[in-house]
Amino acid sequence: MNSAPLLRPLRSMLQGRLQLATATTRTARTALLRPATQLRTNASIASEPKAAAAAVDASAPSTTKTPPPPPSSNTTPLDLEAAATEKGGELPRMPRSLEALYLKPLRREAEFGVPSCDLQLRSYSVRNLEFFCDFALRAAYYCGLPAYGPVPLPRKTERWTVPKGHFIDKKSQENFERITLRRLIQIRDGHPETVQVWLAFLQKHAYYGIGMKANVWEFSKLGVGKAMDENAAEVSKLLEDKWQHLGHVKKLDGIEDIEEFLATERTKVSGGR
Amino acid sequence: MSMFRSKKFDLGCFANIKVIRDHSKRKAFEAAEPERQALRYIIRNTTLPQRTRAVAQLQLTQMHCYTRPTQIRNRCIMGGKGRGVLRDFKMTRFNFRMQAVLGNIPGVKKASW
Repeated sequence: MNSAPLLRPLRSMLQGRLQLATATTRTARTALLRPATQLRTNASIASEPKAAAAAVDASAPSTTKTPPPPPSSNTTPLDLEAAATEKGGELPRMPRSLEALYLKPLRREAEFGVPSCDLQLRSYSVRNLEFFCDFALRAAYYCGLPAYGPVPLPRKTERWTVPKGHFIDKKSQENFERITLRRLIQIRDGHPETVQVWLAFLQKHAYYGIGMKANVWEFSKLGVGKAMDENAAEVSKLLEDKWQHLGHVKKLDGIEDIEEFLATERTKVSGGR
Repeated sequence: MSMFRSKKFDLGCFANIKVIRDHSKRKAFEAAEPERQALRYIIRNTTLPQRTRAVAQLQLTQMHCYTRPTQIRNRCIMGGKGRGVLRDFKMTRFNFRMQAVLGNIPGVKKASW
């Protein structure tokens, strides 16, 4: 226990004003102050190790009394460790998938390098962001997607200056800021469906305080316009039902129709005035 | 104007009469926006006859003032104040400062540079 912080509340303690929180600190401080209470403090201090020892005694038998695990059952990590130390060798190697968690995320190589998805992650805290980038890269590896990044994009710093008080006194103000950190992960040569699966997986396991934004590119064969023209007839059929719910039921052709429309709508718009 | 006010209280923030009034103005504007835009289009369309455009102008001016976008004013969600409201947080400067110091606004810290 340091003596420096104890010296400060001396006066108030002498006056009997200060109520200290814990019993141990009180006894220690009073011991510093008044030698007369030395005996009592000594007794209280001495009683503490006894209690601790009792606690140890209480806990120790329970640990010793636990039956040893049956040797034929599943081998626990402790057993493995013990076996390794008995042999005098190293610990048995972890499975590759488990070992990979402690290493940098694995990556796949892109064959053509055509970007198919740009995922931007944003957060206010570096820790969460780095963690989730790592997670996204690992997920991309196991989805079979070549992922590149995380590229640290420029930070967005927003600042606000407000007066400290609620009323006048503009001279004393305070500054606040919010720094948005951004990271970019790019997927190249990804199949559009796989990219969708990857994005859905990330969304399912979304981490707190992290925003995600993805730009996805898809590539199709030549002659997209022709294919769309062919589909237009079918799409317009589908849309006909929807159009009925939108806008005017009646088509407005020419000036007379508009005048009539305005005349009928006038009562509606002006509330009958 | 109580006709625009909802029958059931539908606000989650701090509420006084000014906040409720502003809220009903926002809803009235939202409801009447297509009409306003249609009339504005007719007024500005020079291919239409002058009479039609004049009629549309009159109708636009006769619409209720609550349907105008200029009636809307951002108010503080903590105290309902109408001045010094930070748009980013919908709060007055002082309420913003209190919340920021308490750490209730994500990412906002005291700045020093």
